[in-house]
Amino acid sequence: MSFIRFIIALWIGKLMRAIMRALGRNATYLPGAAALRICPEFLARAGKPEMIISVTGTNGKTTVCNLIIGLLTRNGVSVLHNRLGSNTVAGIAASLLSGCKLTGKSRFRTAVFETDERTTRLLFPHVIPNYLVITNLFSDSIMRNAHPEFIMGVIENALPNTVKLILNCDDPLSSRIAPRNARVYFGVDRLDDDVTECVNRINDMRLCPECDGALVYDYRRYHHIGRARCPSCGFRSPTPDYRASRVDFDAMTMTVSDADGECEYALLSDSVFNAYNQLTAVAVMRELGYEHAGIRADFDSGVTIPSSRYNEERAGDVTVIMQMAKGKNALACSRVFDYVSSRPGEKELILIMNDLHDAKKWSENTSWLYDCDFEFLRRDGITRIVAAGPRALDYYYRLLLAGVPEERLRCSVPELDAPAHLEFRRGGSVYILYGADAIELAERVSAETKRVAEVSCHSN
Amino acid sequence: MELLTRAVPGAVVVETPLRARPAFLDRDVDLCYIGSSTERGQAIAASALAPWRDEISARIDDGARILATGNAPELFGEYIDCGDGHRVECLGLFGVHAKRDMLNRYNGLFLGKYDNIDIVGFKSQFSHMWTDSEDDDEALFEVVRGAGRRPGDRREGLRRNNFMASYLLGPLLIVNPPFAKQLLRDMGADTNELPFERAAMDAYDARLREFRDPKTGFGG
Ligand SMILES: [Zn+2]
Repeated sequence: MSFIRFIIALWIGKLMRAIMRALGRNATYLPGAAALRICPEFLARAGKPEMIISVTGTNGKTTVCNLIIGLLTRNGVSVLHNRLGSNTVAGIAASLLSGCKLTGKSRFRTAVFETDERTTRLLFPHVIPNYLVITNLFSDSIMRNAHPEFIMGVIENALPNTVKLILNCDDPLSSRIAPRNARVYFGVDRLDDDVTECVNRINDMRLCPECDGALVYDYRRYHHIGRARCPSCGFRSPTPDYRASRVDFDAMTMTVSDADGECEYALLSDSVFNAYNQLTAVAVMRELGYEHAGIRADFDSGVTIPSSRYNEERAGDVTVIMQMAKGKNALACSRVFDYVSSRPGEKELILIMNDLHDAKKWSENTSWLYDCDFEFLRRDGITRIVAAGPRALDYYYRLLLAGVPEERLRCSVPELDAPAHLEFRRGGSVYILYGADAIELAERVSAETKRVAEVSCHSN
Repeated sequence: MELLTRAVPGAVVVETPLRARPAFLDRDVDLCYIGSSTERGQAIAASALAPWRDEISARIDDGARILATGNAPELFGEYIDCGDGHRVECLGLFGVHAKRDMLNRYNGLFLGKYDNIDIVGFKSQFSHMWTDSEDDDEALFEVVRGAGRRPGDRREGLRRNNFMASYLLGPLLIVNPPFAKQLLRDMGADTNELPFERAAMDAYDARLREFRDPKTGFGG
């Protein structure tokens, strides 16, 4: 009976998928949601590839998935994935559905699933991965994810003990998950910019996870990422099995070593975050049995990270750059502020990270502003910051408290009026920092910025 | 906290390490602040504060000024029901207990009153507070819109003499400049002028207008 129910769910889901695709719609969520509604056991009954790699974590999971899928595809592996869809249960159900034959058996031998941290609870009882990659666990939106220790508990409780873990040894939190599961670690050696004291407002690991004593860091990259140890009980960060050393952002290279030797890789991007993402993908490929030389060749022949800087264009005397900064995620914004403020040259910023959905429904919880390192924005190269949108006054006050000189600040509630407050210094850059749900608005602000830049250039 | 130290020139902040004897028991501190923590952090804090229970109680009766925000107020109630069969015993200074529901996080806005001062804030939490004994303790805020100690309760937080506790995030003093000024006045600070007070008031006025607008949803 329940098998018939499953087949009905599968066929209806497939029919929906066919119709939606014929209409040019993205069929990566609804067919899965419908199949789950018809057959709540859909995940358990759907045919699954023999090798499933699940990737979760606060930051970098999309990038890591894209790299693994790219590398596997280069090696002739046909990969089932949820890359274009949702990383929730319905998204993964839709992906499994698309990979099933009409009999319910899977057509694929390998799957890579980006998995939302909280989705693991509903997914792992039925779709048990061979490998689970955890990129890191940081504070995310306080409203959705509470705090990283809570998220770690959710994953741990859901995790079958057969799953092999691929973990970040520089994250003293997530590297400790599920101690009884088999695991390998990846990590990045000390970098020139590392510090020992925390310069960030978010620091989720102050206390030793074993004895609650104060943790000491041999070096610290940002927030709680680094090499930690506890002087009272001897706890220390694990040793990496896949270790990146000589990370050189001038030469754009890093060396990855493991038990079988070492190999120099060209860095795909100039941010530390992406060095981690690339290293993670290398670790996964090595675990699957691929050789360094081949992985390097695949990177060299075009498996890469799309730039997070989007739509970089010259206009008048300046360069206008759109940069996404996930609003309500203090840590993601801190990383973007650090990155943008350390770029060379003079910079002007328009901040429109307001949550547009919240603004319609109720009012955004802005407490994240005080977990976020706005202090990076008082660096000297930043000559003007315009706070715009429904929460402009909150941003403005936060920037003042962060020590940004008042004369550099402007405030404009209508987003499209923001460009008029810019100076457009010759040779400088204008960054538009926008939230995840504001790309369309950001494009209009960008167009207006370019228009005003042209006008001010001609009138000079 | 940062806001107050910047408002008051020469303010000194004493951070008490966990498990050490809280500084305010021995010296005259103008304000003792205790903030939010994780569930594990709450259990650690509850056991770390337990040895000082009677002294803390006596200091509160003497008028020590304490501000607890986020989930810290729960430490001063009887216990926390973890919702999984476990209980965290707390200081038991107030006849309330908290109950967690780790699968349902409560997110909501808050509009209320502190005497005649309008209070705005946010809540984002797993637990709520139940009142067990109605003695002469006051609530810190009177609810105008949103949830009090628990949804439906018209009282938010705890107050006894100068002890003040509330679930509200904001940060509470940052988003409520009139309340922060009142607190500075009560503390007898030389000034109650806040840093960038005008910008703080502009943001507060805008939020107050929004929260009073019946069209604004309050969540929950
Ligand atoms: Zn220890």
